[in-house]
Amino acid sequence: MSLLPRYLIRSRPSIPSPSLSFRNRMLHTSRPLQAETRGPVDPPPAPAGAAPHTAIMDVVAGLAEGPVVPVEDASVVAAEVVSGAPHELQLRQVRIFKPTKSTMQSAKGKTKRWVLDWDVLQGAGRWENPLMGWASSADYMQGTTLGFRSKEAAISFAERQGWDYIVSEPKVAKIPPKNYANNYVHVPGKLRIHHTK
Amino acid sequence: MLRRFTAGRSIARRLAQGQAQPARLFSTSQPRKADITLTVDGKEVTVPQGTALIQACEAAGAAVPRFCYHDRLAIAGNCRMCLVEVERSPKPVASCAMPAMPGSKVFTNTPLVHKAREGVMEFLLANHPLDCPICDQGGECDLQDQSMRYGSDRTRFHEITGKRAVENKDLGPIVKTSMNRCIQCTRCVRFANDVAGVEELGTTGRGNDLQIGMYIEKTMDSEMSGNIIDLCPVGALTSKPYAFQARPWELKKTESIDVLDAVGSNIRVDSRGVQVMRIQPKINDEINEEWINDKTRYAYDGLKYQRLTTPLVREGDRFVPASWEHAMDTIRHGLQSSGAKGDEIKAVAGHTADTESLVALKDFINRLGSENLTLDQSLGDAPPVTGVDVRSNYLFNTGIENVGEADAVLLIGTNPRHEAAIINTRFRKSYLQTGAEFGLIGEDFDSVFEYDHVGTSPSDVEAFLSGKAVKGKGKGENDFARIWKEAKKPLIVVGSAVVEGKDGAAVLKAISKHVLANEKKFVTPEWNGFSILQRAASRAAAYDAGFTPSPTSTNTTPKFVYLLNADEIDPSTIPENAFVVYQGHHGDLGAQFADVCLPGAAYTEKSSTWVNTEGRSQLGRVAVVPPGASREDWKIIRALSEIVGSPIPYDDIIQLRQRMWDISPTLVRYDVIEKPSLEFIKLGLQLLSTPPSTTKAASTTPFKKPINDFYRTDAISRASVTMAACSKAFTKKEYDIASVDEAGSAQASYA
Repeated sequence: MSLLPRYLIRSRPSIPSPSLSFRNRMLHTSRPLQAETRGPVDPPPAPAGAAPHTAIMDVVAGLAEGPVVPVEDASVVAAEVVSGAPHELQLRQVRIFKPTKSTMQSAKGKTKRWVLDWDVLQGAGRWENPLMGWASSADYMQGTTLGFRSKEAAISFAERQGWDYIVSEPKVAKIPPKNYANNYVHVPGKLRIHHTK
Repeated sequence: MLRRFTAGRSIARRLAQGQAQPARLFSTSQPRKADITLTVDGKEVTVPQGTALIQACEAAGAAVPRFCYHDRLAIAGNCRMCLVEVERSPKPVASCAMPAMPGSKVFTNTPLVHKAREGVMEFLLANHPLDCPICDQGGECDLQDQSMRYGSDRTRFHEITGKRAVENKDLGPIVKTSMNRCIQCTRCVRFANDVAGVEELGTTGRGNDLQIGMYIEKTMDSEMSGNIIDLCPVGALTSKPYAFQARPWELKKTESIDVLDAVGSNIRVDSRGVQVMRIQPKINDEINEEWINDKTRYAYDGLKYQRLTTPLVREGDRFVPASWEHAMDTIRHGLQSSGAKGDEIKAVAGHTADTESLVALKDFINRLGSENLTLDQSLGDAPPVTGVDVRSNYLFNTGIENVGEADAVLLIGTNPRHEAAIINTRFRKSYLQTGAEFGLIGEDFDSVFEYDHVGTSPSDVEAFLSGKAVKGKGKGENDFARIWKEAKKPLIVVGSAVVEGKDGAAVLKAISKHVLANEKKFVTPEWNGFSILQRAASRAAAYDAGFTPSPTSTNTTPKFVYLLNADEIDPSTIPENAFVVYQGHHGDLGAQFADVCLPGAAYTEKSSTWVNTEGRSQLGRVAVVPPGASREDWKIIRALSEIVGSPIPYDDIIQLRQRMWDISPTLVRYDVIEKPSLEFIKLGLQLLSTPPSTTKAASTTPFKKPINDFYRTDAISRASVTMAACSKAFTKKEYDIASVDEAGSAQASYA
């Protein structure tokens, strides 16, 4: 137990240093770091009360939840400090949007989640590789998209990373009530279309 | 932590505030119906009365497979795939043709439903060829997907004669047919009849022998025909230009804005590597619903040809590729040696100039001491007759979404079918569904709705609006005059060519007087019946940004001309000895006059702002990178301003958008329409009704259509091979119907 840094076993709110509270929050989720970045990301949990005592070895082994550290404001948790992402990433704007439904198909697959992605980088975006004719790129974010369950989750993620973002609100489809009987409704006046087929 | 782009976030915040305002005040014409409640899969759902059961199921979150039902088309009820179980109903019911009933219990996921759908699927697959590996629909095929869920894994089909074989039809250069694959959902027929106005597309025969076709051998001549490719749930109708080009899973999808007309249709640009492979509509009910026109959809191959990929400097009678430094330096020398001072420096903005570069160019030219900012239209050298002070004087104030509410529409000098094909489909919808009446003053056109031709010339506008009989019109034909008087929601659509013409001021005077005299009908909180229909994507933005000449600059002979995407210019407006710079993406008309060509980015290659004809600003997105050495347009202008010695004060796109915000907040308040107050609209109309005393009376010269060839209107579509084929087939009507089944003889039949 003494091998571990002291802040890992603290169960009370710690000093409000961004990096410190971030790490504590990671411990609290007790999920591997990858799960945080790969799947849909939820907003940070609401502040909870003081957690009961847990053996730290259980936490390390993944058998128990870590100590709960309330995070008052998600925006103060600056993940950029510890994420190890290149500094250039801070200079690029990301876009948060809900993908449109494909008009080629009836089903609405892939339209429910929010997507965060990067604009194509001018000059380094893509070029045709002379060897095979495939596309090469110097932009390490060109193939990356992040999925989120809600807009708020995406915004909160971008804010914690320190990225500037633009949100494109989705357009709501306005479909009037439809009725088979409308095919046979009599419209007074001149007949404007001959529905014969 | 230092952060450079804090400005961007503040814009995002302002935008969020802008959107929080009440969106729109328009009332809907449909009376609100009572709601009913029913249970779908144990979940209660409340829908308006008269809703189809399939819509209620969707509202409850239950997915119902379908082939023939489409949200934006009439209900046919012939595929039977949407069968669901309803309690106390003896048989499964087709949920699209069944109205939702209060209190009924619906089940969409029971063994009975599965068995029924499996049966339907078996019948559909009995005559469907097994050619998914070579079918263009593969990967985005409703039949393919649903057969994975409901299809049987072995066949009971053992006919000696083999599967049904249907002759292919040649519908023209856009739609490729493979009619063996048709499952007779008739979505294409309903679209062609109800939306596109091609009433020849229909069905012959019954049952197994039902065939889709044009009845006789002819092409499907419609500017909306590409949409039937999207609608087709199988691979019977696929895209000819895109045939065998790509699979959907290879494509990177980028949601962006179309710029080939002023509607600002929302599109999704599908690209692979550095190439745009196809363009699909993005659903936006406020603008294009689910449709886009064929030029929007198929002009993309023009992005490959005739491109300017490197700066060019004229040496004698030929262009020599140059470095950016050399080209910029040549321009600096040219500007100095031409001796251009003040208004002798002239800028011309074209149809596809984006808002960012318009603002940058205006700032740059103004810094050089010139006010000579012109547009590449007839009389583009003069200040526009609409003025740019009141926004509602040059915009489509009614709003694209609301045109269907008009009960009488007067089109003046415009052909909406070619100038704004999307708005034209809305007109057809209101013609069929709400019984709207149409009148036209101007040149006749091949319309998809009937109209009363009440005049041809500017003087006819005056006569008609003042209630006099128009010369040469019989009594019977003047029915529209009576309809117009009785109309509750009248709409006047003035074509952009009228405003640009020499009679513009006189026509606008007559119209604005009429509107003001009947302002209770025309200008109300819910309705604005005075609309100008722009046809160029950059026009509204140019007016918003004040990209217009001062009255004094009009008569100056320019010595230095800067053409920004200006390809519709009148060559006589460029003096022989002037130094000309062309900035744009295609080597089209404007580039021919240039001393230096600067390669810019096309609309799929830059993230820029576009303001459509109703004044809605939208942000496009980069799908692919610009080819060669070409650069984003505003950056070119920014770099040039520095080399010339008067740098414009913004270094990145966020600072530039701040500058746009300073000019007009509407430019960066994306996706919303800013509605002016009634007083302001009326003030604008009063300005129009009192033009300067030098205005001539309306002449009797007939209006001319500004677009003669819908398929070739700008640098991109003129470079496109597909558009050239369409122009030949549909504009010139030179198309040889090919025998699509080349073999001509027996087709392979596989049982």
